[in-house]
Amino acid sequence: MKSKLKILRAERDWSQAQLAEALGVSRQTINAIETGKYDPSLPLAFKMARLFDCSIEDIFIPDENEK
Amino acid sequence: MNTKDRRSVGKDEAKTIIMTAITGGAFGLLYGYGFELSLWLGVLTGALFGAAIGFRISKRPPRMEYPIAIFHRIMLAATFMLLASFGYSYLLDQNLSQPQQYWAAALPFLGWTVLVISIGWAIASLDEMQRRIQTEAIAIGFAGTAIFVGGYALFQFAGLGEVNVGLVILAMSVFWLAGKLWTLWRYR
Repeated sequence: MKSKLKILRAERDWSQAQLAEALGVSRQTINAIETGKYDPSLPLAFKMARLFDCSIEDIFIPDENEK
Repeated sequence: MNTKDRRSVGKDEAKTIIMTAITGGAFGLLYGYGFELSLWLGVLTGALFGAAIGFRISKRPPRMEYPIAIFHRIMLAATFMLLASFGYSYLLDQNLSQPQQYWAAALPFLGWTVLVISIGWAIASLDEMQRRIQTEAIAIGFAGTAIFVGGYALFQFAGLGEVNVGLVILAMSVFWLAGKLWTLWRYR
């Protein structure tokens, strides 16, 4: 799954550590989500959507074979 | 960071080094006794090795978010487990009666239980991805140990000598570490 997390984070000028703290996860987790190595759980995805004031679909895009 | 915060970090670092040194010393004591090596040499080597690991952890903490207090608790539980195992080995060599030997054999169970509970607490306090990393590392550790022990048993049937059961713990630690490194690399 691809994510726009890095773009959304950059728009707000937040570091990975700041975002991690806001979401209550580790910086490593944010990095893994941004690089597409880890897909977050639904509760974490909702938390992100709430934080960025958008929907989950605005942050995450499923891969072609996942559609 | 103010002076008070810096002092608190320094105190935490020293505590980490001391705790890992004590755990390393307990590990050295158990293995020194189990493999009939010099006890002092075992304790000293273990303590130095533990202190080195503690120093490394305190200077460059692993990218884990659980509080260092939980790490200290795990070290404490590991020390208790190692000392209980040492107590078991020592008591069994003291010509105890059969019922006393059974009681002595229950000692390591207590130690293991405390250690497993403290590790469980630590894993529960992690975030979802770190929990996955730990779970996968434990699965790899378990699978590796099962293959190692099962494989060695086959070689033993074929005539290879018996080994100390303490090697199972060592094998488990090595496979867990390998699993941890592998999963950390995967989600880097």
